[in-house]
Amino acid sequence: MTSLQLLQAAVSPTARPTIVVVALVYFAIVSAIGVWAMRRTKTASDFFVAGQGIGLFALALAAMSATVSGFAFIGGPGFVYASGLGAMFLVLPLALTNTMGAWVLAKRLRLLGEVRGLMTIPDAIGARYRSPVAQGLSGVSILIAVIGYMATNVLALGLVVDAIFGTGLGWGIWAGMGITLAYSVAGGILAGVYTDVFQGLLMAVASALVFFFALDAGGGLGAMSRAIASADALFLEPWGRMSPLAALSLFFVFGIGALAQPHVAHKFYMLRDPRMLKWYPLVMTVALMMAMSLYFGVGISVRALVATGDLTPLGRPDEATPAFLLQFTPHLLAALVFSGVAAAIMSSVNSFMSIGAAAITHDIPVALGRRVRNELLVGRLSTVVISVLAAVIAQFSGKLVAFLGIFGWGLFASTLVPALAIGLNWPNATRAGAIASIVTGLVLTLSLETLTYFGVYSFPAGVTISGAALVLSCLVFFVVSWITRARAASELDPDVRLVMEV
Amino acid sequence: MTSGRARPFALGVLCVALASIAAAYASAFFVPGGARWSVPAFILGMSLASGAMMALGASKNGRLGVLLLPIGLTITIVVAGLLLAWGLPAESEPLWLGLPRRAAIVLYGVGLLPMFVLPVAYALTFDRVTLRPEDIVAVRAARAKVTAEGGTVPSHAKEPA
Repeated sequence: MTSLQLLQAAVSPTARPTIVVVALVYFAIVSAIGVWAMRRTKTASDFFVAGQGIGLFALALAAMSATVSGFAFIGGPGFVYASGLGAMFLVLPLALTNTMGAWVLAKRLRLLGEVRGLMTIPDAIGARYRSPVAQGLSGVSILIAVIGYMATNVLALGLVVDAIFGTGLGWGIWAGMGITLAYSVAGGILAGVYTDVFQGLLMAVASALVFFFALDAGGGLGAMSRAIASADALFLEPWGRMSPLAALSLFFVFGIGALAQPHVAHKFYMLRDPRMLKWYPLVMTVALMMAMSLYFGVGISVRALVATGDLTPLGRPDEATPAFLLQFTPHLLAALVFSGVAAAIMSSVNSFMSIGAAAITHDIPVALGRRVRNELLVGRLSTVVISVLAAVIAQFSGKLVAFLGIFGWGLFASTLVPALAIGLNWPNATRAGAIASIVTGLVLTLSLETLTYFGVYSFPAGVTISGAALVLSCLVFFVVSWITRARAASELDPDVRLVMEV
Repeated sequence: MTSGRARPFALGVLCVALASIAAAYASAFFVPGGARWSVPAFILGMSLASGAMMALGASKNGRLGVLLLPIGLTITIVVAGLLLAWGLPAESEPLWLGLPRRAAIVLYGVGLLPMFVLPVAYALTFDRVTLRPEDIVAVRAARAKVTAEGGTVPSHAKEPA
């Protein structure tokens, strides 16, 4: 039975009314927020950066929602079930990344946004190096990653809509995309942020509740560990079934790479007052911990339940969450999780729409020496175009969609960590270094992922393409900046230098 | 690191840490799963890279000041936890808070403990280290100057409350 069939099975005749009603209420609330935001969206600034008017909790919940995709609810627990505790290395960096991001990026982006009136992450790169080329290249990287990311998320959204309403996958894709597109086009990022707040709360609450049900179903963590140890001791090793290098690679890519996720970082521009950043890491960390608790709880609980014979072994790891919901939670909680999965996907898709549209409307034209006259209108049209493209890829590209979804995080990391995260904190970084690192990240990630996907070459166990590309792009950034260091001072405007020094 | 050299020191550590990770990856091309030294090299490289990035962002006027303590403590916890998980023998009993000892060290030590250190340290030092009132005044003066000189400060860059 596939994960889709299990999702559909979870919507059993007795559970279906509850799940459908909760989903309808969820979609109605999201639509209402979209209508409210549409009335407040009058300029390109409102559309792309919510007019710099959001508060701390909205920022933290929106950033959390954009970070957490459907993977945290479906793929993640399956990853733990299949790989053991080594899969936790993907979420362990959460302990560091929010505070690291606040020190490295949040303050500087927010202040730079205020001084220069920036709207996008490539804007910050362009301002930092006085370089439309660096801005355009980072815009292209973002656009490529966004379309791939969106296609995989839209496909997942189609599965969820189909499972709840029985629409069939094709209609599920277009219905899910249509609703997300409607509130995104109408209300821009303002609608995105406030739907994210609602969606983030839903995810955090549903996930935390499922975590406690998971502990209860397994008889507590100690009982689960003993049950698993008797059947599969490797699962409980620190690296699980992975090699130490592979597990540590996850920590590296998802730790350092978290500094360069533009759909999260550009939300720093939106904060009303930079002093609100004081509590951002704490609020964001608590929210993310709650949202990711299902990842660990369901993964380990299902493995223990299989070990004790209370659950039949899964055909595919992705079945962990649906199988657990089907048998061990009340209908109402299962319904909340179903809506939570939709919420996680829609909030990520909305954020990708925003930064993808901004790349088309703003960053790439700037690199070509042109400015779009009506950025609000073109922004809305661009949102429609990339959304339709992503939906078409999701519906018709077959296995290609999985390939496109693989490299999004790694592409963001390898192209943006050096130029953005390091560059905003190192005055001696140069334009040539930034451009070289972006090109290195882009070329390495795309070429190596393509070679691997088509079986032309496979990397040794423990070496991840995203990790290798991230290391190499950073090293190229340092080397080229050092070689061209004589130009560094002349490429840095006084106001940008000030923001880097405070 | 209060001598005004925090930034170059952090950059140096970052370069060495990245080179260490690159060497660990390279070893996997010659020895399946990586050479034995590659695991501690990766642990040190990855942890120091995280610490260096934090220090780079947190340093002010080349100084890290009081923030050296939480950042140093966190990186020590991460390095020690991962090295212990790698070096200690496997042992299924007794359980530590419901998990085998090595898994507990990783999940509770590396995954949870820093959550009680870093965000709290950030909040407690924010007003006097990270963003002081005079920093905001200086940035707004720079913005006014850019505007006065005919620079491009779009209308949407509103004055924060």
